[in-house]
Amino acid sequence: MSELMFDAVSVRYGGRRGLTAVDQVSLTVPAGQVVGLVGESGSGKSTLARAAVGLAPVSAGRVLLGGADVRGLPRRRPLQLVFQDPYSSLDPRMSIGESITEAMPRGAHRGSAGRRAEVARLLELVNLDPDRAATLPGHLSGGQRQRVALARALAGRPDVLIADEITSALDVSVQGAVLNLVRSLQRRLNLSMLFISHNLAVVRYLSDQIAVMYLGRIVEVGPAEQVLTDPQHRYTRELLAAAPSAHSSLFDGDLGDLADTEPADPHHPPSGCRYHPRCPIGPLVHVDRTVCVSEDPAEGAARRRHRAACHFTASDLAPTAIPRGGSAS
Amino acid sequence: MATGVGRRGSKWLAAARTPLGACSIVLLTLVVALAVLAPILWQDRAFAVDTDAIGQGPSGTHLLGTDSLGRDILFRVLVATRLSVTLAVLATVIGVTVGLVLGALPSVLPRAAGRLVISVVTIAVAFPGLLLALFFAVIFGVGTHGAVLAIAFAMAPSFARLAQTLAASVVGRDFVSAAKVAGVGRIRLLVRHVLPNIGEPLVVNATIGAGAALLAFAGLSFLGIGVQAPDFDWGRLLNEGLDGIYLNPAAALAPGVAVVLAGLAFNLVGEAVAGVVGVRTRSARIGRRSVPAAGTAAAEEHGDDALLVVENLQVAFPRPSGWTVPVRGVSFTVRAGEAVGVVGESGSGKSLTGLAVSRLVETPGVVTADRLEFAGTPLLTTPERELRGLLGTSLAMVFQDPMTSFNPTRRIGRQLAEVSEQHQGLPRRKAFERAVGRLRSVRIPAAERRARQYPHEFSGGMRQRAMIGMGLMGEPRLIIADEPTTALDVTVQRQLLRLLARTRTEGDTAILLISHDIAVVSQTCDRMLVMYAGRVVEDLLTGDLAAGPRHPYTRALLAATLELDTDRAEPLTVIPGRPPEPDRVPAGCAFAARCPAATDQCLVEDPVLESVTAAHRVACWHPQEDAAPERAREAVTAGGAE
Repeated sequence: MSELMFDAVSVRYGGRRGLTAVDQVSLTVPAGQVVGLVGESGSGKSTLARAAVGLAPVSAGRVLLGGADVRGLPRRRPLQLVFQDPYSSLDPRMSIGESITEAMPRGAHRGSAGRRAEVARLLELVNLDPDRAATLPGHLSGGQRQRVALARALAGRPDVLIADEITSALDVSVQGAVLNLVRSLQRRLNLSMLFISHNLAVVRYLSDQIAVMYLGRIVEVGPAEQVLTDPQHRYTRELLAAAPSAHSSLFDGDLGDLADTEPADPHHPPSGCRYHPRCPIGPLVHVDRTVCVSEDPAEGAARRRHRAACHFTASDLAPTAIPRGGSAS
Repeated sequence: MATGVGRRGSKWLAAARTPLGACSIVLLTLVVALAVLAPILWQDRAFAVDTDAIGQGPSGTHLLGTDSLGRDILFRVLVATRLSVTLAVLATVIGVTVGLVLGALPSVLPRAAGRLVISVVTIAVAFPGLLLALFFAVIFGVGTHGAVLAIAFAMAPSFARLAQTLAASVVGRDFVSAAKVAGVGRIRLLVRHVLPNIGEPLVVNATIGAGAALLAFAGLSFLGIGVQAPDFDWGRLLNEGLDGIYLNPAAALAPGVAVVLAGLAFNLVGEAVAGVVGVRTRSARIGRRSVPAAGTAAAEEHGDDALLVVENLQVAFPRPSGWTVPVRGVSFTVRAGEAVGVVGESGSGKSLTGLAVSRLVETPGVVTADRLEFAGTPLLTTPERELRGLLGTSLAMVFQDPMTSFNPTRRIGRQLAEVSEQHQGLPRRKAFERAVGRLRSVRIPAAERRARQYPHEFSGGMRQRAMIGMGLMGEPRLIIADEPTTALDVTVQRQLLRLLARTRTEGDTAILLISHDIAVVSQTCDRMLVMYAGRVVEDLLTGDLAAGPRHPYTRALLAATLELDTDRAEPLTVIPGRPPEPDRVPAGCAFAARCPAATDQCLVEDPVLESVTAAHRVACWHPQEDAAPERAREAVTAGGAE
């Protein structure tokens, strides 16, 4: 059990005209806790996960695992990643037993009998029949494959597990089973976990803390219930209001034309606050709020509630000054 | 595992029975048998010098005549099989090995070194093969060794290139990343993950390469820089026979025919292997499908304003084992201006239903229906040409993937304008103006400028908007949207659903929204059809969803949907089991195996969609009665069965 810490991590692709997918992100996954990471596609959540396991180049900052820089750790690190698509994350030509065996630390299990026993143990752990170790992934359903992917990640004896959109390729009826499994495993093995999803309801169900990412930056982070009931950043509110629900109407909190603005181009992120071209309490609505265009709200975010990267957070202002557009809950 | 092997074996057997497979097996057996046996049987006769019969034409004793030393040409051609084939195979093996090593190196070496290898191969590929062979023949000297190496090295670059390209596509896949994360080393990554997954196309290409090597060898020997006397292969025999072609054409033709046949054997084998291991789809030849008289739903009353009427719609696809029917008798009506949602899990047949309605199911799929009418026109019997105008202007389709819906090489505005030019006969300029107007109406900012941009310059949400705009170029009376927001973020999803809702009220356009998300459908539609295993199991007003659906599947689906107020202390509700495969639908109710309320009747008899109230139909023997669905939770521990 150890904590995972991103210390001002940046990931940059390409040369001069390249793209900064992750920009100076600092985030801590405390030991034994689940941190949920939400944000829209292109916000850099998956890139952050890939940077932690060495699949994306860290151009600045450090990723620390239990206080040690991951770049200095041996190749088999106690940090594992479960991928989004269970149809492409398992080698179609390897039996699921072989895939799991491959991820075991070398020398951890004596002989082939020891390794077989460990495969059986891991398959049982993820509620699969241990007799199916010789099955090829092609004979399994999506939910079963995702369990195998989980078992493979656990074979590496990780302290920290990163789950990158692991239920978004699955049907609703299967999603619940996988989430139940992830939660019970996390508790039983006392794993630290970074759980990434674009679905707030999924993240809320599992997480102790929630971090919200927008255009390569973390804009708000805090205890799960607090972030959801008292969101400080306007973008978090938008995400909450937009989550589809059978109980709410489509036109609750319609922002008119402002809602139809396009997401910003990550190649040319807006100046100041990156959310200002879409923000309903920003300079588009309040002409006097030029500070949003000129100054980066990341400065001094640590002082604000939920480390919100916003010049006009809800708690900064008197309640009357908050334009109640969309209800958050 | 055993079934996997068995299926594999039967696949090879089936391939051997095709004309191509049978031909290739016969030819290959012939060539191999000759290569092994001919020198043992006829070595002496091929070398027997007969000074009495020099340069003779075909005769009874010498079927193909004799050469300048009086040796029998037929036997010489037969005996030459071994050397010709052996050399070709040897060259291929060396060429393939070198090619494979060169091709695999970039994925093992450090980046810079890998790039260097790629550049070298790229340059080598640009050299013509024969020139390269001649060049090597000079280096390695004239003779068998030189020729083998020459042909091998001439073959290597293109093979390396192929291996590189294939390897690069596999390296990008998630399972390779997963192995990297698990700490698997580079060499093992290459041997265990990359090579096995590119093996098949490489084997096929190597076989075909052997045919080419045979030909190249014959060419070199013919030119005199291949096999040297007293050894002989087909190329050399061809060379010798050419001198007397006017006296004895058979002497030149026989080795030529041998080269052709052996080359053909290799190439056909390659083709046959490709047919088995490749992804080529062979059309299954099975009889015409007789439409089963499915338990037809009680005929619905269609009002005068029925826009789309579907009765007992079936979609079937031929499989080697028979017909599989993913849509099994779907009936529903969409009235003018109505928004109807279709909900179901993957494989429930919801997308196929949408495609069948818009006549987009491609052969070999077969669509049948008792009635399939759009705006009063029967879609299955009206000729395609007459339909095109109707569907082009009155029916709009929005697909899941906004990336592939537009032609990437043409500007958005022009693609929209084309619709009006085609169907309404508007001149170019007018059509473009209309396109800009439509883009504006789907709330694309700076529509004038945006119309001149290409699809890749649009974000996903904007592209979906433009797609709806394209549908609005006509006067659509129905928009079929198949998972239009699945690839989009929640905020963009909401914008798009609002746009659909607004379009509906402004133009009195009906909407058929197909989605896996029951929440999305209930927010957008008046009515929803719940599909399971190719059937509509419940048809209810979305307003009644809270009051309580009747079908246990609808209830289970609703209970399994995660919401922002789901109790975090409890495990999530799951639906045990999984849906039946479309080719193995059980006799009774398809949901019976997963249903908590199932009885013996459910396992035997398939329930029919019947009206409960005027606006509520359900296909269940035991419709649930209680008003408010209690979120009954299964006793699920860590995950539940699947």
